[in-house]
Amino acid sequence: MAESIRHAGPGDPATSAAPHLRVRMSTSRMAWLASLSLLPAAAWGIVLFGLPALIVLVVSIASAAAAEAAATLPRGKVTLGDGSAFFTGLLVALLMPAGVPAYVPAAASAFGILVVKQSFGGLGRNWMNPAMGGVVFALLSWPGLLSQWAAPLGSAAANAAVPPLEALRAALAAPGPRDATPLAVLARAGYGFSGLDSAAVGWVNSHVLAPLGTRLQPGTLDVLIGHVAGGIGSTCAPLLLAGAAFLLTFGVIRWHLPVFYIGTFGLLAFVFGGLGTGQGWLAGGPLFQVLSGSLVLAAFYAAPDPVTSPLMNTGKCILGAALGVLTFFLRFFGSLGDGVAAAIVLGNCISPLLDRWMERRKVQELGQGVA
Amino acid sequence: MDTVSSRTREAPLVMLLLTLVPSIAVAVRVADALWLAAGAVLVMTGSSVARAILDGARPAGTPETGTPAADGPGEEDRTARWLRALVISSLLTAAFEAGLLAVAPAASAALGIYAPLLAVNLLVAGKGGPDPSGASPLRATLSSLRNGAWFAGGLVAIALAREVLGAGTITLFPVSGFGGTITLSPLLDQPVRALGFAGGGLLCLGYLVAAVRAVLARKGSAAPRAEASR
Repeated sequence: MAESIRHAGPGDPATSAAPHLRVRMSTSRMAWLASLSLLPAAAWGIVLFGLPALIVLVVSIASAAAAEAAATLPRGKVTLGDGSAFFTGLLVALLMPAGVPAYVPAAASAFGILVVKQSFGGLGRNWMNPAMGGVVFALLSWPGLLSQWAAPLGSAAANAAVPPLEALRAALAAPGPRDATPLAVLARAGYGFSGLDSAAVGWVNSHVLAPLGTRLQPGTLDVLIGHVAGGIGSTCAPLLLAGAAFLLTFGVIRWHLPVFYIGTFGLLAFVFGGLGTGQGWLAGGPLFQVLSGSLVLAAFYAAPDPVTSPLMNTGKCILGAALGVLTFFLRFFGSLGDGVAAAIVLGNCISPLLDRWMERRKVQELGQGVA
Repeated sequence: MDTVSSRTREAPLVMLLLTLVPSIAVAVRVADALWLAAGAVLVMTGSSVARAILDGARPAGTPETGTPAADGPGEEDRTARWLRALVISSLLTAAFEAGLLAVAPAASAALGIYAPLLAVNLLVAGKGGPDPSGASPLRATLSSLRNGAWFAGGLVAIALAREVLGAGTITLFPVSGFGGTITLSPLLDQPVRALGFAGGGLLCLGYLVAAVRAVLARKGSAAPRAEASR
């Protein structure tokens, strides 16, 4: 037996990393497909934020790859080809502000690979998502640097370098009238939306929505397409959702966890989000809260990580709901960024418990069936 | 007393909370870690020597109290030994605290509750309890010094890593012409603050333990090879 394990190939279930599901999708293929699906969002980030964004991306990926090589080379088995290090570096970079000093993404990626992943035995044995672990490490270590955002292309306003979530928080902290929606609050506070947004929203309002008796708020287009300050690749929801659809189509991820995650968070934000700021019940602006920050990116690309999420669909639904609750509390009452990375790291802690609980339930059901 | 202690020792989480976490909490600056390490060595060595002397001073022919076990002293005698160890460790800890307050009040304030916790830590970890082997005072001293050196080395190494990376400084003791603090300018500007938290301390501890185990494992695997080559 020992001989067979020693000489087994990397694809052998006796030696390869979890998950050991009987599917055609290999771990390596999953990682590369996930990276591929993120490339449009990364490219959009480079368009919006320019060369600094490209530097952050290159440094983060290079650091993750170097850390992976450094950790696996002494064991005689370099695992760069499985794509997991590339994906970790890419995910870390997409959550960072453009223009952050290069050592921050480098340290975050290296921490994710060396401490979170390789210290526990490598791919399949980490209990926490490496990218999210690295981002939380960076948030705890350099909170000031990670709150210095860059203004997107074509935004000349003084406050355009402030992400909408932070601008909303600041506007609601000041005394004054409370508007019904987050975008209305931002518009009253003079938030610097782009000229493209003004033109497009104005045209749609006058030509399409005016006859219907309704209108779009200024900033709708900017928030929707991610033309705002924020993480390099975390603001453009349409591109992220297109990538997620690609992953769902190829069976890389399942819908349960992201849908329950975003749904639970959106529901809580809608019902309770306005209470703390004096806007009252059912005034939290769920769509704005979902589209702002890095929720969409994390919900589809970090939370469904097959290593750190439950194996069964019921477990995925429960974890998704738990992540939604955690993100709501961390975003509205916490201080660690938009609360998404910290929520996922905390959620990863309960993932093994959910698996164990699900397995026990399954065994009991099978036992009852046999009896 | 002994039963409670052995149960406690069997629970890793309790051991972690009672012994490691207080030590990690205080090991943020090198100077504080050095003071705590000095206190630990003092209490461990002092209590071992005192216990060895007291055990050896029992008059010849004095029977042990309680029901004797097949391989050791009776229950009452064990309890008496534990109480004696507790009193000795507490006295030494109090002496260390008083001395620290007199010599270095700033360090005393920084250590706070962790200095008195020392006695509890050492008893729980089994380093301040009764010595079942009945070693001589000299052997007890050497054994305690060895244990204390390991504890001190580990604590200072953790504190050094955390302070250098987490604050960009190395805090030592001020002497004439030297303020006591070495600053490392790139890290001083943007330190890795995460290492200053308790989680950062546990992370450093984990890697220290892993490094020691790796070295010991390498030594262990090297010894049979050397034997075989002979």
